[in-house]
Amino acid sequence: MLGKVASHFGNDYDADGFRTCSITGLDIHRSAENHVKLFGLTAVVALIIGGIFAVTVALTRWELIGLVGEQDYYTHLSMHAWNVLIFWMVFMEIAILYVGGSMVLGRRLPLTVLAKAGWAIMVVGAIGINWSIWTAGVQEAPLLTAYVPLDIPMEFYAFAIVFLLGTTIAAVPFFATIWLEKRGAVDRTLPLVTFGAFITSIIAVQAILGGLVAFSYALIWHLGIIDTINTGVYRTLFWTIGHGSQQINLLAMITVWYFLTHVVGGAVVVSEKVSRSAFVLYLFFINLGAAHHLMVDPGLSVGWRIFNTSYAFYGAAFASMIHAFAIPAGLEAGRRQRGLGGGLFGWLSSAPWRNPVFSATIFSIILFGFMGGITGVLMGQMQLNMTWHNTFATVGHFHGTVALGTTLAFWGLLFFVIKTMFRRDYISGTLASVVPYAYAGAMGIATLAMMYMGILYGVPRRTSSVVENIPGTDFSLSAAVPLMTIFGIFAVLALLAGVLFLLVAAGSLLFGKRLSDGDDGGLLPDGGYSTDGGESVHAIEMRGTFTLCMVFLTVFVVLYVLNWYLLSQLWAIGA
Amino acid sequence: MPGPLDEPEGNWWDQPINRREGMWLGIAGIWSVGIFGWMSGFTRFGDQNPVGETYHVSPDEFRETVQGYKEEADENEDGHLIPPDDSVYIGARRFDWDGLPAVLEVDREYDIHLGAYDVQHGFSIRPEHTLSKQINLQIFPDTEWIIPMTFDEPGTYHVICNEFCGRGHNGMHGELYVEEA
Ligand code: HEM
Ligand SMILES: [Cu+2]
Ligand SMILES: [Cu+2]
Repeated sequence: MLGKVASHFGNDYDADGFRTCSITGLDIHRSAENHVKLFGLTAVVALIIGGIFAVTVALTRWELIGLVGEQDYYTHLSMHAWNVLIFWMVFMEIAILYVGGSMVLGRRLPLTVLAKAGWAIMVVGAIGINWSIWTAGVQEAPLLTAYVPLDIPMEFYAFAIVFLLGTTIAAVPFFATIWLEKRGAVDRTLPLVTFGAFITSIIAVQAILGGLVAFSYALIWHLGIIDTINTGVYRTLFWTIGHGSQQINLLAMITVWYFLTHVVGGAVVVSEKVSRSAFVLYLFFINLGAAHHLMVDPGLSVGWRIFNTSYAFYGAAFASMIHAFAIPAGLEAGRRQRGLGGGLFGWLSSAPWRNPVFSATIFSIILFGFMGGITGVLMGQMQLNMTWHNTFATVGHFHGTVALGTTLAFWGLLFFVIKTMFRRDYISGTLASVVPYAYAGAMGIATLAMMYMGILYGVPRRTSSVVENIPGTDFSLSAAVPLMTIFGIFAVLALLAGVLFLLVAAGSLLFGKRLSDGDDGGLLPDGGYSTDGGESVHAIEMRGTFTLCMVFLTVFVVLYVLNWYLLSQLWAIGA
Repeated sequence: MPGPLDEPEGNWWDQPINRREGMWLGIAGIWSVGIFGWMSGFTRFGDQNPVGETYHVSPDEFRETVQGYKEEADENEDGHLIPPDDSVYIGARRFDWDGLPAVLEVDREYDIHLGAYDVQHGFSIRPEHTLSKQINLQIFPDTEWIIPMTFDEPGTYHVICNEFCGRGHNGMHGELYVEEA
């Protein structure tokens, strides 16, 4: 068994510990590769645990099944949230920092002791959080937010602090990589992917600092060091990490989009200036957006709310729309340069749709944009938030962002890593190809159903029964039962697709054929890894992308108008 | 041709931008400013804004205020509260709504005073006849929020708690009746 595990941490390296990637041509050092694998595999373990609780949560909300009673439901929901949203994503993100740093720059990973120590502390924190949720007993489960002044076990806050400290330590080798690269070469420019990872890490530092303050504040109150705790202050602090971590997910995902569309689709960078400026806009504005969780809170002025929820005049939404053009345009330009597919969308239809790395990435982009992105801006508008806040539609929104967008992008990355770093062929190419389609399709419908239930029937989140039965009253939101049935069926299908992903991934690692040196496993983009100049990128036609963006904008405008129309039908409220 | 994994070549900042990308930048910029303008303008000309005065109160103070209000209020034959004036008090506590059921008049502006006695709660209200008309507000145990509301349709309005407030949160429901004057 141990030998089997160990065999996954070995490739043929030269005397200095480097090897050349058969696809990207990057020089990869053993130290970077092994730590990427360590964090990636740990992330998958968290995904499995969180996924098991997705089953119990979904089958409870589908009240026809009503799997778990109210007494235990919140515990299950807390386990789901922390394992998938935090542990699955954050372990992946550390791996992504090492890819974007050491691997792309062709360096060894410095300070590997800190990488290992960070990993160990994160694992202790994660196990401790799971343990404190599970053993809360007469105290309450924290859910994701651990709001004060609920009676939540104080160990929970302590382990949350441990986890954040571990994450910070694990990120140090990445910062050291950037520093070593830049030392004595300040006028050189980092590759775009490294730049994206770097911006991600700075935003992560801001988020983690906020998180440390928030959880410490709650902890010293639980310890009795301070007598009273202010609800609104905790919420503001909490959301710097609660949403800040979502910005990390977003930036890591966008970085992965640039990376994967390039390596398997042949994308180029259509404008370094524009894409990098968009990342810089994020740096300045995106963390303000954490305020969109506080739109219907008492005690905050209108000016503060509007300025912050809009990331200062939508600076960060603008940045996202820039990437929404730049990434497909990179694909379009790169493929047109190679002469792949003419017409408006030939570059897209001729793309490697059977390659799960590619399809997962594209579905991630589309579903994130159309489902997560648009709804995020809508519900983040102060007035519209009154109709979204804490409804099931909110859950729909963030499953559009993290469960569809980020999770699919990370699956694409894992599919890529299985071949390029673990050097294993998929145990079944067909099953691997099916995974992104099955998950994107089923989860997409389940997510839509959640949104509709929230907006059209006001179904709340964080409750175990409400459409069939509200305890103590005859009233229930029974009109939503048909949609709940659709949700239930497609959630189950999505979960099965998740199981399929795990079977293919684990099966490939354990039983996949080992790829020989230089074998690209069929991942190389048609027409070769890089284009050899020719026409300048900016002069290439990008009308396909432009058309897609106009479709996106149209949907955005229509949904915007509809939401405001629904709002204006409400009774008058507000001074 | 360098990709996103390579150091960009030459003076990349001064490279021209593709015409369509430039157009998209303009469109996205206008849209961003536009929706900001609408949201901000709506606080002036719109009728639905989550805005009202707030006061810092301790949970006990707020409980006493609600108690005083209930003593002053009339009751109809079903035992539902009829507010003495334009102020309506609703105190959220695990796991019911103090001050509900209440009976309000249609088309009359009330100041709804929202607060909580213990932990955070979610004030989620909708008329029984149109579930899609729903409003959700966050409630704090240390803050009193005074939000004016004018109900323009008679009917039974249901209040559900939609912030997790402990085991029992599930059944935290109350009613508000809006009647013709
Ligand atoms: C097939 C996959 C999944 C299904 C069926 C599913 C289902 C659900 C449902 C029904 C809820 C709402 C429960 C409630 O409010 O009462 C929920 C909550 C949540 N889910 Fe998922 N989920 C899935 C995957 C994911 C993934 C991949 C992530 C993150 C990466 C995620 C993150 C969350 C979070 C953060 C919450 C909110 C927890 C809270 O309210 O504190 N889910 N999930
Ligand atoms: Cu409550
Ligand atoms: Cu509640």
